[in-house]
Order: sequence, then C-alpha cells, then structure tokens
Amino acid sequence: MTQKEKIQQEIEKTLDSLNGMKRAEANPFLFTRIQARMNRKSGGWERAFSFVSKPLVALAMLALVMAMNGWSYFGNSIPAETLVSDTETASLPEFEREYKFITSTDSYDYENANDE
Amino acid sequence: MINETELIEQLKRGDDTAFRTIVEQWQDMVYNTILGIVQNETEAEDLAQDVFIKVFEKIGTFKGDSKFSTWLYRIATTTALDHLRSRKRKKRSGFLQSLSGSGGEEKEQIPDFHHPGVSLDNKERAAVLFKAIDELPDNQKAAYTLHKLEGLSYRDVSEVLNTSVSAVESLMSRANQNLRKQLEEYYNKHYR
Repeated sequence: MTQKEKIQQEIEKTLDSLNGMKRAEANPFLFTRIQARMNRKSGGWERAFSFVSKPLVALAMLALVMAMNGWSYFGNSIPAETLVSDTETASLPEFEREYKFITSTDSYDYENANDE
Repeated sequence: MINETELIEQLKRGDDTAFRTIVEQWQDMVYNTILGIVQNETEAEDLAQDVFIKVFEKIGTFKGDSKFSTWLYRIATTTALDHLRSRKRKKRSGFLQSLSGSGGEEKEQIPDFHHPGVSLDNKERAAVLFKAIDELPDNQKAAYTLHKLEGLSYRDVSEVLNTSVSAVESLMSRANQNLRKQLEEYYNKHYR
C-alpha cells in the first residue's frame, strides 16, 4: 500500500469517527441556572437599562436634553426691552418703602447722617 | 403525558411548569447542537441558557408553521453562529492589538476539542475532525453539525436553515470536500 493510499484510508477513518457518537448531555441543573438568570434579568438595574435603551425613550430623552439646552441658550439671554428702565429704577425707593425694606446701604447712610 | 401543542400554549401563557418541561425535554438537543458548533463546553452551556431564555421571550412569535423542534434548532444554530462571529471579531481585534504592540503577542493555541459523546477509541480522530469542521464556513458547519451530530435528515436540515433540500445537499458536498482537503493536509504533515 502506497503512502497516498494509507493517507486516504486515514482520512476515511477520520471522517467516519463521528458515526455512532452519542448526544452530549446538558448540565442537569440547566433549568435552575436559566431561572436564576431570568430572575437577575427581571430585577433592578437591568430593567432600568432596558427601559432607558428603548428607542422611543432614548429619543424622548434626547429631545428633552436638546430642548433644555435650547432654553438655557435662548431663554436666558435677556432681550433689551426687558431690562429695567430708568423710570422703573426711579420707582424702586417707593417699592422699598412700601415693603419696608431696609438695606445695609440705608443703615450706613443713617449712621453717617448721625455722625454729621 | 401532555402533548407538545398544549405545552406550547401553556408556555405562551407564561406557565413556569410548561417552561421547565420544555427545557428538560429539549436541553440535550439544544446543548449538543451548540456544542458541535462552538466546540467549547462552558460556552455551549451559557448559550444553551440564552436559547431557552429566547424561547421563553419569543414563544409568542411561534406560529406553529414548522415543528417546534425545527424552531428550536433554528434558534440554537443562529445563537451558536452569532457567538462564533463575535468570537472571531474579538480574535481579530486581539490580533490588531498584538500588531500595535499592546499585548497578546503570543499566538493563541486552540486546545483540541473532545466531544463527550465520542467513543474512546475514536477520540483522537474525532478531535482532528472537529478541528477541520471548525475551519468550515458557517453555513457548511451548521449543515454538517445538524446532519452528523444530531442525525437530522437533509429535509430537516433544510427546514432549520430555511433553505431547499438541494441547497443542503450542495452544502454537505462542499463541506465533505473541504474536510477531505484539510485532512489530507493534516495527514501529509503528521502521518508517519
């Protein structure tokens, strides 16, 4: 028998080596392990992450963040007409009197007046 | 004993006992299929768990157009092949890291896989064959595993892989050619 024929014979034997093999058996505790994994999956963080990673929730959160960004940029830049006008400044003491505000500046002026 | 249809209906209603019965009835079939494809016992066990969790979550989508076992084989095969793809991706990124000099410079030695169902006198030969099977393209590997390890007919394999019987015949023929080629190379190197 030549070397080539011997090799061919080896190949055939190897290809046949799976004939009659038995099925591998799974771990007898497979179900218990599956249950444990499912319990872990259904609890706490994983549930929170799965909720947050839902496309609809993620998009809604993105839209909210963008809206807040927009508001902080455009909403906080005070337009010129909303600045306190001179007349409004003039009416401030009236406002203070009405609500009996005593500011530190007032008391300082008062003390100074006594000194004089 | 409760029949398969009733069992599936109970599972659709979220019945734990039905789920346990299904796992216990089909766990060896699922595990053996996955083990044949991934050739690693620890990974196969984790993936078998994944398969049954998927079954529990997706049972509502099972319409009964195919046999339940076909549906189960399909999930098991897809899960195992997806795992192999992600393993290959990791290996590739490890290789790139080794090229960039950030570790992993030693070439990974894949240990021989010994299937627990192979008889002792065929153990070494089967390990050589499994190494060759591991080199087959995914669809050939799936067809070969389902036919050889699970003993499915070409028709059953075609239903699992969602293809025609002639396509399975062609896959099996190419798988055998590829295996012969690889074994020839192996024995040319190792035969004394």
